[in-house]
Amino acid sequence: MAVPKMKSQTWKKVWPYAAAVGTLLLIWQVAAFFLPPYLLPGVPTVLERLAAGITEPEFLTSLKESLFRLIIGYPSACLLGGLLGLLAGLSRGFAVYLRSLIAILQSIPPITWIPFLIILFGFGNVPIITVIIIASFFPMALSVMNATEGINRTHLEVAKVLGATKGQLLRKVYLPETLPSFITGAQVAFGNAWRSLIASEMVGGASSGLGFSIKFAGEVAQMTDVLLYIVIIGMIAAFFDHVVLEWLKRRVLKWRYIEGAK
Amino acid sequence: MQTLEIQRVHKSFGSLKVLENINLTIEKGKFAAIVGPSGCGKSTLLRMVAGLETPDEGTVQADGKVIKQPSPERMMIFQEHALYPWLTVGENVEMGLELAGVSKEERRKRAQEVLKTVGLDGFYNYYPSQLSGGMRQRVSIARALVMDPDVLLLDEPYGALDAMTRLTMQNELLKLWEGSGKTMLLITHDIDEALYLADQIFVMSARPGKVVQTIDLDLPRPRSRHSQRFGELRQEIMQLLGLEE
Ligand SMILES: Nc1ncnc2c1ncn2[C@@H]1O[C@H](COP(=O)(O)OP(=O)(O)O)[C@@H](O)[C@H]1O
Ligand SMILES: [Mg+2]
Repeated sequence: MAVPKMKSQTWKKVWPYAAAVGTLLLIWQVAAFFLPPYLLPGVPTVLERLAAGITEPEFLTSLKESLFRLIIGYPSACLLGGLLGLLAGLSRGFAVYLRSLIAILQSIPPITWIPFLIILFGFGNVPIITVIIIASFFPMALSVMNATEGINRTHLEVAKVLGATKGQLLRKVYLPETLPSFITGAQVAFGNAWRSLIASEMVGGASSGLGFSIKFAGEVAQMTDVLLYIVIIGMIAAFFDHVVLEWLKRRVLKWRYIEGAK
Repeated sequence: MQTLEIQRVHKSFGSLKVLENINLTIEKGKFAAIVGPSGCGKSTLLRMVAGLETPDEGTVQADGKVIKQPSPERMMIFQEHALYPWLTVGENVEMGLELAGVSKEERRKRAQEVLKTVGLDGFYNYYPSQLSGGMRQRVSIARALVMDPDVLLLDEPYGALDAMTRLTMQNELLKLWEGSGKTMLLITHDIDEALYLADQIFVMSARPGKVVQTIDLDLPRPRSRHSQRFGELRQEIMQLLGLEE
C-alpha cells in the first residue's frame, strides 16, 4: 500500500516542476526565433553543445574545481552552523551573542569578503571556501537554534524521569527532535553556498570553476557557452536540492513519511 | 515498595502562590487519587514526587528519603501521551532500559512482555502516529511499567480520551495494579474516576492549593458506579469542590 502512494506523491511534486522547466524553455525558444543566433541561440543548439561539452576536459576541470570547493565548504558550514545552533539553543546568553553576530554578518554581502580574503590568502580555493562558509553557516545555525529553543518540554521530562543523563538528553531527545530543522537549515544553506560559490568564482576568487568559465565566455561574447553554463549551474543545484537532500530527508525522517502519520 | 510522604510543602512561581502547606501520606501499595479544580497545583505536586520540581518549603520523601531528582523507582505518566514520534512503539518502550544500558535482546524481550500485558501485542514496529489515542496512552504506560517502578505517578492520563475508552483504560489500570504492590498516585479531574479506582482521595481547593479533605474508601472492588455509597461520596466531593450546594 505504501509504495503506490509514495509514487503518486512523487508524481504530484514532479509535474509542476516539469511544467516550470518547460515554460522557461518555451520562452527562451520563442525569444530565439526573433533574435539572431549569435545573440540568442535556440534550445537545441545549446543542448547539442551540452552533449558535446560534457566530455571536454576544459569543462570537466571547471566542474571538478567548483564541486571540490562546494564539497569542502558546504558540509563544513553545515557542521559549524549545526553545532553553534545547538549550543545557542541550550544557552540563552550564547543565543543572544550568536544572533548579533549573524545580524552583523548578514548585513555584509558574503561576496564582499573576496578582496579581503584574496589579500590575506592569495587567489585560489581558500577565499572561495571561506566565503561559502560565511554565507551558508547561518541559515543552519538559526534553524537549529530555533528548534532547540522550542523543544518539547514534556519530551525532555520523560527522558529525565526515565533516567537520562545530560549527554543522553542531547543524543536521545535534542538531536532527533531538531533533526527536521537540520534538514531545512541544510536546504537553505545549500542555496546560499551555491550562489556564493559561483559569485566568488566570477568576481575573481580563482581562475577556474564554473563561475570563472561563464565569466570568460561572457567576455569573449560566446552566447552558446554562457547559456550552457547557466543551464549546468541550474541543473546541479536542482539535483542537489531535489534529489540528494530530498533523499537524505526521507531517510533520516522516515517516521514522518509513514503511512497514516499526521 | 515505597511510602510517599509530603510534609508542610509550599510552592510559588514568582508571585503566584500555587501550593500552601500540603501534608499527605500515601502508604506503600495503596492507590491514591488527587482531585481538584484546574490550576490548583496538582501537576506541580505530582512533579515534585517525580523529582522534576522542588518545594520552596517542606519536604517530599519516598521511604523516608528526600526526593531530589527523578529516579527509575518512580515513573510518571503524562497527560499527553508524550511518546517520541521518531521512535517506534518498541523503541519508545525500551527507551528507559536503553538509557540504563540494558542489552538489546534483553530490552526487546522485556518490551514485548510489557506490550502484551497492555494489550499491544504485535504493535512493536508501529509508529505512535499510526495508533489511536487510547493505544498511545497504553504505550506510555508500558514505557513506565517496563522499568518495574515502585511508584506510578499518573497526571490526568485519560483526560484526552473519549468516555468509553476511558472506562476501558480504568479497568485495565486496576488489573495492572492489583497484586503488584505498586504505590499509585493518580491526578484526575474526573470524580468518578477517582471513586472507581482509589483507596484514598485527596480533595484540593482552588489556588493556592490546599488539601481540604482526605477520604478513605471502604468500597470493595470491582465497584459499581451506581451504588448508594458511590453516589454519596460523589456528592460529598462535589460539595467540597463547590460544584454543588
Ligand atoms: N514552571 C512554571 N512556571 C510558572 N508557573 C507555573 C509553572 N508550572 C505551573 N505554573 C502555574 O502554577 C499553577 C498550577 O499549575 P498546575 O500544577 O499545572 O495545576 P493543575 O495541574 O492543578 O491544573 C498554574 O497557574 C500554572 O500556570
Ligand atoms: Mg495539571
